Amino acid sequence: MKSDLTLNAKDLDFFYAGGVQALKKINLPVLKNKVTALIGPSGCGKTTLLRCFNRMHDLYPGNSYKGEILFNNENILSQDFDLIALRSRIGMVFQKPTPFPMSIFDNISYGLKLKGLKSRNELSEQVEKALINAALWDEVKDKLNVSAYDLSGGQQQRLVIARALAVEPEVLLFDEPTSALDPISTGKIEDLIVHLKNDITIIIVTHNMQQAARISDRTGFMMLGDLIEFDNTDRIFTRPSQKLTEDYITGRFG
Amino acid sequence: MTVEKRRQIESAVALSLSTFAAFLGLFWLIFILGDVLVHGVSAMKLSLFTEDPAPPGIAGGGLKNAFIGHVLITLCATMIGVPFGVLGGTFLAEYARGRRIARIISILSDIMVSVPSIVIGTFIYAVLVKPVGHFNGWAGAVALAIIMIPVVLRTTEDMLTLVPWTLREAAFALGAPYYKVIIQVVYRGASAGILTGILLSIARVSGETAPLLFTSFNNSFFSVNMNEPIASLTVTIFQYAMGPYDDWHAQAWAASLIIMIFILILTIIGRLIIKWRYGKR
Repeated sequence: MKSDLTLNAKDLDFFYAGGVQALKKINLPVLKNKVTALIGPSGCGKTTLLRCFNRMHDLYPGNSYKGEILFNNENILSQDFDLIALRSRIGMVFQKPTPFPMSIFDNISYGLKLKGLKSRNELSEQVEKALINAALWDEVKDKLNVSAYDLSGGQQQRLVIARALAVEPEVLLFDEPTSALDPISTGKIEDLIVHLKNDITIIIVTHNMQQAARISDRTGFMMLGDLIEFDNTDRIFTRPSQKLTEDYITGRFG
Repeated sequence: MTVEKRRQIESAVALSLSTFAAFLGLFWLIFILGDVLVHGVSAMKLSLFTEDPAPPGIAGGGLKNAFIGHVLITLCATMIGVPFGVLGGTFLAEYARGRRIARIISILSDIMVSVPSIVIGTFIYAVLVKPVGHFNGWAGAVALAIIMIPVVLRTTEDMLTLVPWTLREAAFALGAPYYKVIIQVVYRGASAGILTGILLSIARVSGETAPLLFTSFNNSFFSVNMNEPIASLTVTIFQYAMGPYDDWHAQAWAASLIIMIFILILTIIGRLIIKWRYGKR
């Protein structure tokens, strides 16, 4: 059972600069090749928790962690953990599409070049593979040299997913990836996420409970920095054990 | 009724005052530009660009030495000023972001922008002319570079700050180290703005006279030796305009027109870049 865990947060506390505690004693085991969803009202800490997994908080001075997050049994919160290596193994997709100001091809190959890949042929191969995996290849294969800004919002989001996939991460973190997209683009991204879990482990923060119910295997409900309940998705949405969870998913608050 | 009437009158007064002020400003602007244009065009000759100055009082000759000298000084100033400005702006916007030192440097830099250029000229005179013992081109280039630095620095800082943080985070999330994030992603996102800032700073210094008077001075002969006094258009204009000969006056007008056109072109290119880069999104 233990080997099936990719990530495992243990008694995780997180404090923003200034001392505000945003996460309280979080225990979250993340199963390999499953989709784990985090839901909860605004400000509950779900994005904060997500950003712990690739230590994005380290970009801003004064933030601090307590407890541990095991990634394949290694504590990624230890001081000497190589963040560059960590981030190439745990990718992230943001709420708004974040294409770089360069061509589609250069966007996808960016992470590969960081890893030291130079051969043009190999780059092309990997770029094609990543775009196919992100279900974007057919739409862009004839315009790889066009600026990524010329794509639609939904295409940009899939481009960003392709860019993250290109470096072959073990985990992908999604921070409300569809909240800025229309229903059709959202559907495509959701299909993609379900398809991707064959190869990688996924954690997704979402405001949309239906989305969590549709695509995730496990769901965590958070409130005010606490992980209130964490269980199989169908259980959370049919017979949650906590009153708070039930109130939230039935729309009584939030 | 009376209240409405009063407001209408106030509005009419405010409107006519501001319109008058705008036209007054425009009038002098057009007057100056038009005067330079009329005098400059009539003095424009090919020999201006191909010949060095004739001895004082003798008709003919050109300003080749001043053109070349001016370009040389401006080019050196750009090569000194731009790296300092861009790297300094990068420090403020990235590495020192949000820290007090960044704010202090920003404010000092804003003050530097409005320091009279003659102050910078005398300062450079004290540190780069007096110890050397004679006027020299390098001193002029450094003086102009010092005028450029705060302009480039502040534009760079502002343009980098405009690049959304999520873009940097996206690059970090792929495992990029900070310097690569800056060079490969942030600079690219801000390139048009930074380039425009550089062009405008070149435009700004290419019309400067005071700092050159104290540093590179002037040279009636053709010279590209930056260790010696070197001619520049602006100082030549100053000298020729004060001089007694009609021929000098004519050449000063022509030189003024050429500097004006040069600045106009740089400004237009700057605007085009902004429009092309930021206009369509």
